[in-house]
Amino acid sequence: MEIIEGRIDRWLERKARLLARRTSRRSFLARLSALVLGSAAFPLLPVARAGGTAARAPAPDESGLKGEAADPTSCQYWRHCAIDGLLCSCCGGTQNACPPGTEMSRVTWIGTCRHPGDGKDYIISYNDCCGKSFCGRCQCNRNEGEKPVYVTPKNNDIVWCFGTQSTAYNCSTAIVLGIATEG
Amino acid sequence: MLWYKGGVKPWLVSLLALVTLVSGARGDEGSDPLGQVLSLPPRPGPHWIWLSDLVLQRTALFDTDTGNMLGMLSAGMGIVAPVFSPDHREIYLAETYYSRGTRGERTDVVTVYDASSLLPIAEIPLPPKRADHASGVASNAITDDGRFLAVFNLTPATSISVVDLPARRLSAEIPTPGCSLVYPAGARRFLMLCGDGSLLSVTIDDAGQEKTLQRSAPFFDPNADPVTEKAARAGNQWLFISFAGVVHPVDLSSDPPSFAKTWSIVSEEDKRASWRIGGTQQLTAHAASGRLYALMHQGGRDTHKDPGTEVWVFDIAAHARVQRIALRSPIAGFLRRHLGLTEGSFTARIASWLLYAVLPNPGVDRILVTQDEAPVLVTGTTFPSTLEVHDGRSGALLRDIAEVGVAGSVIASP
Repeated sequence: MEIIEGRIDRWLERKARLLARRTSRRSFLARLSALVLGSAAFPLLPVARAGGTAARAPAPDESGLKGEAADPTSCQYWRHCAIDGLLCSCCGGTQNACPPGTEMSRVTWIGTCRHPGDGKDYIISYNDCCGKSFCGRCQCNRNEGEKPVYVTPKNNDIVWCFGTQSTAYNCSTAIVLGIATEG
Repeated sequence: MLWYKGGVKPWLVSLLALVTLVSGARGDEGSDPLGQVLSLPPRPGPHWIWLSDLVLQRTALFDTDTGNMLGMLSAGMGIVAPVFSPDHREIYLAETYYSRGTRGERTDVVTVYDASSLLPIAEIPLPPKRADHASGVASNAITDDGRFLAVFNLTPATSISVVDLPARRLSAEIPTPGCSLVYPAGARRFLMLCGDGSLLSVTIDDAGQEKTLQRSAPFFDPNADPVTEKAARAGNQWLFISFAGVVHPVDLSSDPPSFAKTWSIVSEEDKRASWRIGGTQQLTAHAASGRLYALMHQGGRDTHKDPGTEVWVFDIAAHARVQRIALRSPIAGFLRRHLGLTEGSFTARIASWLLYAVLPNPGVDRILVTQDEAPVLVTGTTFPSTLEVHDGRSGALLRDIAEVGVAGSVIASP
């Protein structure tokens, strides 16, 4: 046992030294404080909640879906059940990526959409892409479970370009965060 | 340039230019004046309305009696909702600008415009936190005496910026955790809606500083049946309406405001026929006659933002529906204009009739009734951008106004 413990100790020591060489303490502290500050600034935000409770499960398989429910450029795409905006898939991005040169907002509103294939409800994070003017294509307005502005995390009327360099709204993505545990 | 080289002196050129300018300004008998810029009369017409535009980043003034556009205010990014001084001399716009258009340094300001020249006459810097949300309603509120303007901030932490309008300065930023939007409610009071279904009453002193923040008990259930942001004020009462059509009257005559008995705009029969309130500016009141106008459509759950095909009119005191106004298709009106079918020829009339008969009626997004004795009811859609004018009492369509913008948003009357 002692031999094994000694090996583990030495292995950990090597790793720690390697890490110390690669990472300055200042940058580590900076990252840590950014994390702490970030979590303090947005303690109740949907992404933090959704990310915390529902682990980032793999996005559900969409290969079996047919028609508009499977088409990210369609308003009827299954993830778009609570979106109000312009679809990034029509604007040079995809359902989970922003168009070139825009910046994805980390703070978002969320919806709960049912996957037509497996019948499960998924938490969808509608991250806005910001920093350029309106994309102007594929305007889509669906409001399943949408709530007024004062229920902020569930409102899709708000321009959710928060924490980005610019609040100019370009388009919205629809990213699966996890399986919803409640309706 | 040869003639100049030939010896014409620069002072002579200047003199000639001056003479041209002076004669142009004076206007020769019968000739068109040069350099003329119009201004508006000191008081707005009773049927003037402002229509903001998402894409054109402006708000534009229309005379709904003639269908003419009278002028506009250029604004910055996002939705702007004009606010009017009670004496009609000034218009206030809370605006957001970036130094390079969509990027660079952000500047939020309240710009004060002269209501006659439509020129900016003052600029009051704001914290760069102004909320931008698609309906645009309840983004700003002016106190009933016109002294203070509150601007709703969302970062997504919530607060209001309070601006002292005569002093042309920001007097305070008041944090309002959990509460959003802003509604005027007296000379020194604003109301806000909170996420738990309660009402926040914010009172300020004469210096524009926070005096009290009073939060009511929840007066609706935000999960079961939330009230929309799109409330209407009739005198001393704010009327909030829920997704299911329940009116929650808030009485401003007491402090803090009190809650009057709720009532429903839909009967059991209406519910069976799936009638619901919807749209982006869906409720408007005519204070003098005590009438409430609600934009209605037939739809299921989660259609609270769907456009409406009818306007239902209610007697606020009696809680009773007094009228149903069926709206004509805004798309048909839009196409009729674009196809040039507005002339009175027989063919044009037949073609117009066909358009209205054949095309579906998707409904309108916004409604607003003017406050004069013979009001007009204005309706509008965002895509395509349309504006229709109805007699506010009979509901008859008087006209649709062509080319009102690219993406119409907030409709406001001065």
